[in-house]
Amino acid sequence: MEFLGFAARRTVHTAVTLVLLLVFMFVLFRLIPGDPTTLLLGTGELTLEAQQRLRAQWGLDQSLFEQLLAYCRNLISGELGLSFYYRRPVTEVIGPMLINTVILMLPILVLAIGLGIVIGTWLGWRRGERVEELGAVLVLIPRALPVFWTGIVLLSLFAYKLQWFPIGGIREAFFYPEAWYQNLPYYDVLQHLVLPVATGVLASMADPLMIMRTSLIEVRDEEFMVLARARGLSTRSLQRLARRSALLPVLTYSAVMVGFAFGGQVLLEVVFTWPGMGRLMVNSVTQRDYPVAQAAFFLMASVVVVLNLIVDLLYGWLDPRIRHD
Amino acid sequence: MTKSSGNDAIVDPNTYADPDPKRAASRRDVLGFLAAFGVVTPTASLISAIDAGIATAEAQTAAGQPVPRLSVYTPNWPDMIELWRQLARDWAPLGVDLDVQQGTLDTFVSNIVAEQKLPHLGSMSWGGAPDRLDPDYFISEMFHSRRAIKGGLNFGLYKSDEFDKAADSQRQAMDPAERQKLVRLAQELVVADSPSLILYHRDIIHAYNKKRFKGMKPILGNGIGFPYMPLAYMDIEALQPRKVLRLTSIYDIASLNPFQTPEIYNSTTLRLIYATFVTRDEKAEVMPWALASWNVVDNTTVDIVLRPNTKFHDGKPATVEDVKFTFDFILKHKFPAMGRVTDALESASITGDNTVRLKLKQPSAPFVANVLGYAFLAPKHIWETIPANLATPADWPNDKPVGSGPWKFVEWRKGEHIQFAANKDFYRPAKLDGFIAAVVPQMESMVGMLERGDSDMLAWNLDMTLGARISQNPDLEVVRTPTHGQHEVRLNLSMAPCNNKAFRHALQHATDRKKILDIIFSGAGVVSHGAPITPALEAWAVPSLKGYEPNIDKARAVLKDGGFTWNAQGKLMLPS
Repeated sequence: MEFLGFAARRTVHTAVTLVLLLVFMFVLFRLIPGDPTTLLLGTGELTLEAQQRLRAQWGLDQSLFEQLLAYCRNLISGELGLSFYYRRPVTEVIGPMLINTVILMLPILVLAIGLGIVIGTWLGWRRGERVEELGAVLVLIPRALPVFWTGIVLLSLFAYKLQWFPIGGIREAFFYPEAWYQNLPYYDVLQHLVLPVATGVLASMADPLMIMRTSLIEVRDEEFMVLARARGLSTRSLQRLARRSALLPVLTYSAVMVGFAFGGQVLLEVVFTWPGMGRLMVNSVTQRDYPVAQAAFFLMASVVVVLNLIVDLLYGWLDPRIRHD
Repeated sequence: MTKSSGNDAIVDPNTYADPDPKRAASRRDVLGFLAAFGVVTPTASLISAIDAGIATAEAQTAAGQPVPRLSVYTPNWPDMIELWRQLARDWAPLGVDLDVQQGTLDTFVSNIVAEQKLPHLGSMSWGGAPDRLDPDYFISEMFHSRRAIKGGLNFGLYKSDEFDKAADSQRQAMDPAERQKLVRLAQELVVADSPSLILYHRDIIHAYNKKRFKGMKPILGNGIGFPYMPLAYMDIEALQPRKVLRLTSIYDIASLNPFQTPEIYNSTTLRLIYATFVTRDEKAEVMPWALASWNVVDNTTVDIVLRPNTKFHDGKPATVEDVKFTFDFILKHKFPAMGRVTDALESASITGDNTVRLKLKQPSAPFVANVLGYAFLAPKHIWETIPANLATPADWPNDKPVGSGPWKFVEWRKGEHIQFAANKDFYRPAKLDGFIAAVVPQMESMVGMLERGDSDMLAWNLDMTLGARISQNPDLEVVRTPTHGQHEVRLNLSMAPCNNKAFRHALQHATDRKKILDIIFSGAGVVSHGAPITPALEAWAVPSLKGYEPNIDKARAVLKDGGFTWNAQGKLMLPS
């Protein structure tokens, strides 16, 4: 029963957070000087009268409060608005970019977290040995290098020098399959995925890995593990036991990681010319395309917040030691 | 992470290092708060820095005082930053110090253009857009007092009645010889008053694969690859079986609706599909495109003749009805993107099988080049029947654009590429079968694609280092084209010492333009003679101008004549 109370409280917290986020972002974007018509103005392509007309047409000359009310009203009826830059519904602008980002980030997340857990367990189990000390340092090197640098190095080696992979993009603008293997389904997208995914995994693998390793080191010396070892369980079973307990912190961290992944990785997307959310977010801020910027940032923020809620609620089930009072 | 303390006995792995979760939580709160303002803070601090700079500068302008540190705003492009390093060196012997702030282009536009908050100096580069070939842009837009308002490009606040008169007269002078005199007069006035240091006209550098294609046409301000001039792609021929050219560009378009946006890249790309009434040729002369001819009847009347046998891409013939419809449509809806048409045109009426008479609101010399070169032939049978529930027809997606231009629309993948097929019914059809413009936001990726053979033409401005590297490849050719665009340093004439003409002239003499052009652009360009119209536009440039030879002694002499002095430390002092 206490769980339901807890769940209700947390859900309300989350809802309030989301509403506050929305208002906060709405105001924050409009604090930046200029508006969607500004960039057009700068090059003299729009006369002042034309700009005023455009502002009136787009409701930008109303007070901040009125604009906020209109935005909330539309939001409740499910309308995210029209992009100022593209003059298309926001969902139509963000949708394809979101899909492209998911195509990129899903393999990165799965591989980074998966490899992180496996290698982290391997390292954590060998705590104190030479290989673990070396491993911990080695793993942190790609994490410390800027992700765009790693990307450029991989590009220059595998794409420019060896020409094994394309330079960038999600597909060839001009793809003409020649060899037999190029006719396999999704070959084009897959060959474009290899390098950015490799870069992303190298950069983001270290976090879940180190968390797993630390967590495993803690768990390994707990009483129940000592008991299990005394009872003569095989190393394999011991590892499995420890891993289950040690997994929890990694799970919590993964929730945050997934949320941030939705914002796309701007640096990765620019280096690899990937048409995803990251570039969209940066461009929409530069262009003062408020509806798109708000929707994109809100998407990212709400994924983080909601995933945290889910993990919090699941924690009780995952770890029987937790009591919700 | 949950910030609720106390009740939930959830162990937070993020506080392993810190046994006190409350302190960790409040630390995280502070960090989160700071991170949230991380976006706004740099922008806000930049703006307040500019404001503070202007405030301090205004306080230090008493006579006989040392010249204040000049506050400068520059876009954060590498060439601009290097420019200011050079200028700081060039001007140091005059006893002048600079305080350079850099920021993004949109901050420049929103502060300096939209809010008219230029500090002492600002630098900008203006591209070679087609409507800037007409001298009106670089004369009226930048220096007429009428444009010293919010949103105008005369953010240096230059106000001269004599200049305004010359600028207004040239705008309305329909006789070319008369106009040329007035344009040159206006430029001479600008050079005499020196409200801006026009530095150089940097060349446009594009590259292409000469083993696969030939027939590239370099045009002033367009190079071989920009879409600004439709003529550029018309004579390109394939030297191998694939007759579809692949070019790379940094930008993507935002919309397929030609009434929607005035942005240069978008609007000129769409005008490959929608033929404008006139266009420019290789010598930058106006030539008929959708029209067969035109005739300036009097100051406010222009007769235009539609090219016979014009067909739209869906096969339907184009008639004078479509011509009249286009102008009426624009006048009726007053599209902000078509502002220059609405400002100039009074009415359009059919006067014959192929002729339409246009009445202007006032005499306008740039009308044919800039209005008829921007307005395009739109199909009445399509635009009449768009859904009525839109706020404005400019919002209509226009997913399958149909025009009468030399290129038909095939496909647009947002953020990836846009594909065209040649319109073989055009009066002078392109020699290619089609072309694809791929969006590649990284210059290095563009170069890589060209070198690997993934693309055939690099249609964005290269710098000479990359150009030199590309030239070493025997398959590739680098093409340099002059432009009418320019780099300039604008002075804020409302702030001392920039309001002093001697000071401005001294800066002109102290600046070593050639050296800067050599350092930054490897000499690829033309040093300015000080006037806003490039020497390459012979019709409008002032031939008698000699430009400025960099000469510090001359600069100091000019300052001395203007009453400036130097103190014991060599700092420049305002005249008393």
